[in-house]
Amino acid sequence: MTGYFAKVFDHTWAIMKGMWITLKYMLRPSVTVHYPTEKLVPFEKFRGALLFDAETCISCNLCVKACPSTCIQLENATNPQTGKKIAKVDWYTIDYGKCNFCRLCEEACPTKPKSVWHSLDYEVLFFSRDEMVRCWKAGTPFTGKYWDRKEKAFKDPLGQISIQDVPARR
Amino acid sequence: MSNDTALAAQEPKTLKTDTLFVNLGPQHPSTHGVLRVGLTIDGEMITKAVPDIGYLHRGTQKLAEVRGYHHCVVLTDRWDYVSAMPNNLVFCLAAEKLMGLKVPPRADALRVVMCELNRLASHLLFFGTYGIDIGAFTPFLYAFREREMILDLFEMVCGARLTYNYIRLGGVMVDVTPEWLAKTKEFLDYFKPRLDEYDTLLSFNPIFMARTQEVGLISAEKAVNWGLSGPNLRGSGVNYDVRKNDPYSGYEHYDFDVPLGKTGSCWDRYYCRVQEMRQSVRILEQALAMLPHGEVSATGVAKVPKPPSGESYAHVEGSRGDLGIFLVSDGQASPYRMHVKAPSFLNLAILQEILVGNKVSDVIAILGSVDIVLGEVDR
Repeated sequence: MTGYFAKVFDHTWAIMKGMWITLKYMLRPSVTVHYPTEKLVPFEKFRGALLFDAETCISCNLCVKACPSTCIQLENATNPQTGKKIAKVDWYTIDYGKCNFCRLCEEACPTKPKSVWHSLDYEVLFFSRDEMVRCWKAGTPFTGKYWDRKEKAFKDPLGQISIQDVPARR
Repeated sequence: MSNDTALAAQEPKTLKTDTLFVNLGPQHPSTHGVLRVGLTIDGEMITKAVPDIGYLHRGTQKLAEVRGYHHCVVLTDRWDYVSAMPNNLVFCLAAEKLMGLKVPPRADALRVVMCELNRLASHLLFFGTYGIDIGAFTPFLYAFREREMILDLFEMVCGARLTYNYIRLGGVMVDVTPEWLAKTKEFLDYFKPRLDEYDTLLSFNPIFMARTQEVGLISAEKAVNWGLSGPNLRGSGVNYDVRKNDPYSGYEHYDFDVPLGKTGSCWDRYYCRVQEMRQSVRILEQALAMLPHGEVSATGVAKVPKPPSGESYAHVEGSRGDLGIFLVSDGQASPYRMHVKAPSFLNLAILQEILVGNKVSDVIAILGSVDIVLGEVDR
């Protein structure tokens, strides 16, 4: 009988000790962030969705070789008069469905500033499979366009949200 | 008269009950991934348990045969996604052995720092989810608060929170900044008192102890026979830690203990991990205090490495046990063969023996205490 009451006392005491710890934290400010009304900005080095700049790219193919999942493809531009290849990109595609977010392409890129780089966007979403493959040509914005196979037209991606606009990390 | 009735007629004195086949998983929240355990139960007791794996198979071992060595480091992130740093490290160690690369001392120290931080993150995840498995939800929230800080540290240094690709052939991706070091020290000071709180919240809670101390007993002999490693082996009292027994990356310079369990119960395996977190903090403090200066990457790492023909084996103490890589090169740009000795896979195998004779509710306690990551089991 005494053993029974000792056990009850032990368990109750353990629960009270646990409750004391939780009570201490109850009075402190919250550590959570109410996503999506509040958003954190990732650190500077964050590897978010890839962006590409067709103006600075010299079409050297290093990013294509560096990519572990072969998600990058590109085609050299040619000079219309001579028909020879020039150090410009004609078209450039990244398949986000395959991208590993490993930064090997950005590290391989020899241009300054980098032609392909990781943005801070962690909220990239895709409404269709077509949208996963982004294409760039001269004059395309950094976020690229996608080829809609049904309507046979290049379109702006709908699921691209720019995270850089939100206030800085606490 | 059917066959069953004839059988029943032969044993009129004992009540004959049918055994029942129950699927636990692959969508069960406590199987920690996509694991299916086929349980044959007789009432509440388990008479047979067959773990079924392969739901997360991505074929990275085969994929490595057509990828370059730098690309393979990215593949390694995807095995044990809860602690990817040791995965990166073990592949790099094996490949560096083949290539004969010498890693600078600062890179070695940074590798140790990252692996130990990752061990903390991994064990915190175990601590939290094991509490949930048993029915204690609060510790999970506390563990994830601290884990988030570690992931922030990783995000700060390499840009990713789970798939780091930080440890590279011949060194590490990038040097750490003084701000990062200050933040890590700040975190360690914050984290040390939290471990005592965890003990109060969960480890020495009598309800938790009553649930876990009597079940899932693995004797030292059985643990060795089944090839367990990591905290599961040490929970049974076998003193084997790759960091002590076959030191790599300069672990011989750090002063730390190997926590051991006594009976090999679920609680022993659990408490081994909690104690390991204390030791990891000790290693981290030493590593940060004596971080050497200099380069973080070896010179002469080829863009497309083609190591000479040969084979190499490297193993590290990952968060889940003895993680090894066997790498064969035939002089080409990609490995001829890569084999991963995954600790989770070997730890999982013992389930079919220790689950038998337990109740269904204890399956969750045992499964949680073995701490498997299905990404590593299936690879």
